[in-house]
Amino acid sequence: MLCLPEMQSRFAAELFARGGAPGMAVYRGNVFGNWSQALAGAYPIVRKIVGEEFFDGLAREYARVHPSISGDLNEHGAQFPDFAAAVPHTQDLPYLPDVARMEWLAHQAYYAQDAAPFGFEGLDESSRLRLTPPCALLASEWPLARIWTVHQDDYEGAIDVDLRSGPDRILVHRPRWRALVRSLAPGDYRFLQAAARGETLGDALEAAAADDPDFQPSLALAGWVDAGVIAL
Amino acid sequence: MRARHYGDFLGARPAIGWVEVHSENYFGAGGYDRHVLERVRRDYAVSLHGVGLGLGSVHGFSAAHLKKLAELAAWIDPVLVSEHLSWGATSSRHLNDLLPLPCSAEALALVAGRVEVVQDALRRRILVENISAYVDPGANEMQEGEFLSELARRTGCGVLLDVNNLYVNQVNLGRDALTQMEKLHSVEEIHLAGHLARGDLLIDHHGDRVAGPVWRLYEAALERFGPVPTLIEWDTDIPALEVLLEEAAKAGARMEARHALSA
Repeated sequence: MLCLPEMQSRFAAELFARGGAPGMAVYRGNVFGNWSQALAGAYPIVRKIVGEEFFDGLAREYARVHPSISGDLNEHGAQFPDFAAAVPHTQDLPYLPDVARMEWLAHQAYYAQDAAPFGFEGLDESSRLRLTPPCALLASEWPLARIWTVHQDDYEGAIDVDLRSGPDRILVHRPRWRALVRSLAPGDYRFLQAAARGETLGDALEAAAADDPDFQPSLALAGWVDAGVIAL
Repeated sequence: MRARHYGDFLGARPAIGWVEVHSENYFGAGGYDRHVLERVRRDYAVSLHGVGLGLGSVHGFSAAHLKKLAELAAWIDPVLVSEHLSWGATSSRHLNDLLPLPCSAEALALVAGRVEVVQDALRRRILVENISAYVDPGANEMQEGEFLSELARRTGCGVLLDVNNLYVNQVNLGRDALTQMEKLHSVEEIHLAGHLARGDLLIDHHGDRVAGPVWRLYEAALERFGPVPTLIEWDTDIPALEVLLEEAAKAGARMEARHALSA
């Protein structure tokens, strides 16, 4: 008679094999279906781009190669951008991995800790900044913000994307409950990047101004604090 | 409560006894789901129903997962916390499903130890729920009802009786549902849900109204366990809240009829 450890490892192996009792097929459908559904929830734009059927195949292959390691399915899919970059069938969609990276940041932003209110008291040039928990930056050679916009469910404008309109530097943030993506000017990107690295306010403003003659330090500071993007 | 019905609970506040949620849906550090749960908690008692802990996983029982559950429970102050009598992970991967355990002394010892760990971490009793199964793991040394009752006796936990799962297992595994119920005690909550027939198997898909035979078993459960708080589960193709409230009203009517009889 099998003892419990053997029974469970054999059951798991059967899930990744073929055949067996009819009930095993039900488990196989449930388990892979749960993983596909979780991945579809995190990567809705990638799914729209490649189509539901193809995405489902990618999701199954992903789950075999990159095991789920949490009982919380919202954590499944962290390696999907790199996986999407490496699989042979997506090589004609070179922008797909960056779209996936953007979506994973947005997925994390959705569940991130709410940004606490931030005041200017005690702020000086030596203050070290940080991005608030929902916020993240991504630089890409592809027009990510445009790709994001045209794939939103409630978007009604023209759906064309000029793939040569990159590069793009984006901020993923969550002003209230919904994760959003916006394109950043070079100076703002440099400023927020410095904040993300924990540089001082003085260094961050200086670096941004050096990178971008249009960067306006006082407007940027007030604007990003007000938007809940940076904090001390 | 599923996300589809957030608007209903934030708006009209339907007249129901309590709200149950999947614990893992609120494991995030912040964001909209937690915001809604906090608002709903002001008006309703909340019950946390976990699907990912895997009390019976020999390997892969996660201290990090338990910590998140403990933090969630400390934050929302639930009226009940429940988990499943199942396993769901190996040493190398999570399987993210509710997988069946044999009703053996070995499994009982493992799960009883885990329930104690969970109850210590949460500093409260939990309920453990019977699951549906599509294959019998074999090596059974006792009835499922006996297993749960013995688990409750050893750990002080309560039983969450899923009547639909009893029926599904009666069909799929040939385990007589009434026999299981006769062996059960410490039932403190009941779940009802719909299932789907596929070939010779019933699939516990939580995507339909409660079936006739399950209602009859529910009446038997009320007879045996008294007016136990009852929840309608619906997780696939979730309909308008009214449909769930209709099912809940049917359960309520059966509870009242039973009460009138015994009065």
